[in-house]
Amino acid sequence: MSMTQELLKARTSLENNLRELLGVPVFLIEMDAFALPCGCGGVTINTRGLQLDDLEVFEEHILKYLTDTATSLDIEPSFLFARLIPGTAEIASINARVLCNSCYMDFGRGSGKQPRPDIYIMRFDRRK
Amino acid sequence: MKLYVPHIGHFEGLEELLAGSDNIYAVYMAGSPEYVGTGRTNLSTPKLDEIAQQTEYAHSKGVKMEIVLNSSCMGGQHLTPEGYRAIDWYFDKLNSIGIDSITVADPYLVEMLAKDYDMDVVVSVLSFVDTPQKAEFYEQLGATTIVVDPAVNRHFDKLEAIKDTVSCKLKLLVNEACLYQCPFRYAHFNFFSHANGPGPKPNVLDDYYYYKCLSLRIKDPQQIIKSPWIRPEDLKEYKHITDTFKIGGRTHFVNWILNNVEAYANERYDGNLMDLLDSIKDLKDTFYIPNRELDGAIEQWKKCDKVCHKCGYCKRLAEKVIHTYSGSGEDIRKIPLGSIGDRI
Repeated sequence: MSMTQELLKARTSLENNLRELLGVPVFLIEMDAFALPCGCGGVTINTRGLQLDDLEVFEEHILKYLTDTATSLDIEPSFLFARLIPGTAEIASINARVLCNSCYMDFGRGSGKQPRPDIYIMRFDRRK
Repeated sequence: MKLYVPHIGHFEGLEELLAGSDNIYAVYMAGSPEYVGTGRTNLSTPKLDEIAQQTEYAHSKGVKMEIVLNSSCMGGQHLTPEGYRAIDWYFDKLNSIGIDSITVADPYLVEMLAKDYDMDVVVSVLSFVDTPQKAEFYEQLGATTIVVDPAVNRHFDKLEAIKDTVSCKLKLLVNEACLYQCPFRYAHFNFFSHANGPGPKPNVLDDYYYYKCLSLRIKDPQQIIKSPWIRPEDLKEYKHITDTFKIGGRTHFVNWILNNVEAYANERYDGNLMDLLDSIKDLKDTFYIPNRELDGAIEQWKKCDKVCHKCGYCKRLAEKVIHTYSGSGEDIRKIPLGSIGDRI
């Protein structure tokens, strides 16, 4: 399967899972694979209709779905997070990111689920 | 019937648009944001020479040209000596080009245009004219045409009162599809006006209002039905108010615009209503609403007193007709809304 076919399949599967879980036609408007100059890479999934309380209540399930999505795309699910519109309950995207050393240090220094107002961490695997 | 049709702003787009339909009475596009911004996002910012070339071309095809300068907030810049001079200079240039009409939202610009220029003065939907009293004020300021706030598209008593009160022309925006009684309306258009105006431009994280707008509909799809769009089939119910209708959609591809023109010109559309709606285009791959299944709904809306919690008509209608798409590409299915659920 080509990368785009993989992404299409993963987007549909994740969307269906979230809809079934939440009982709302949550819309995954776009799923993008990304590679950053710093060395980070992964996928970002732009969401519409997904909110922070959905995440807080169903985090265990959503984390599993996102882990499965990342794994299906051969992305190590070591850093999974949602990006919020700061000060609101709106989730702009959910992300699976393999951190470069520099970005790992940035996030590694922080603690808790929200190191920044726009980041809600679902999973952060600390390196030894 | 006179259809005002959005134009994305470059010459090739205009050629394609006018080649695609004989039902276009006028096209409208944004001007240059260096002078007065606009309350919507734009795909282009045509300079004066481009506007002149396109105006000449439109006129050669018998089509009128309207420039939209409907910033809902200019931060007071238009009231400064420098701001006034810049806007006055720009209006003068547009007048010389032969622009037929200018749409503005600020009452000051309405009066300024009416006093000093020959172009028709159109009051934007972003002036939020929703009562006969407001319409009267704008007419006194010199408005040639008022585009009525779509929020009252289904308040026939108000539309008729506005019609009876003023002698200027009225225009109805048919497919904006903003939320009915949207709480973000003023803030969102003010944000757009600054983002698409002379500057300084805000470096924003996200368009919060748009995210929220889509979220509300996803959580509660009846909001799509309540939104005061006018279906092509229902234009006949408005012809005692006006014969002039405006299609929204300056940021869409020409084929999307032409599909709308055909639907409204023929007063019929057999596809997904979502295809026609402007502001929620991102949800057209989420919701399927067979337009023809909404035949007759206008009869309820004509007598509706908008007390939704007592009535429930739109909620029932949404449950009956709205489907959600599941999957993607060729493997796409339509699922009735009821099976997805509604937490409201």
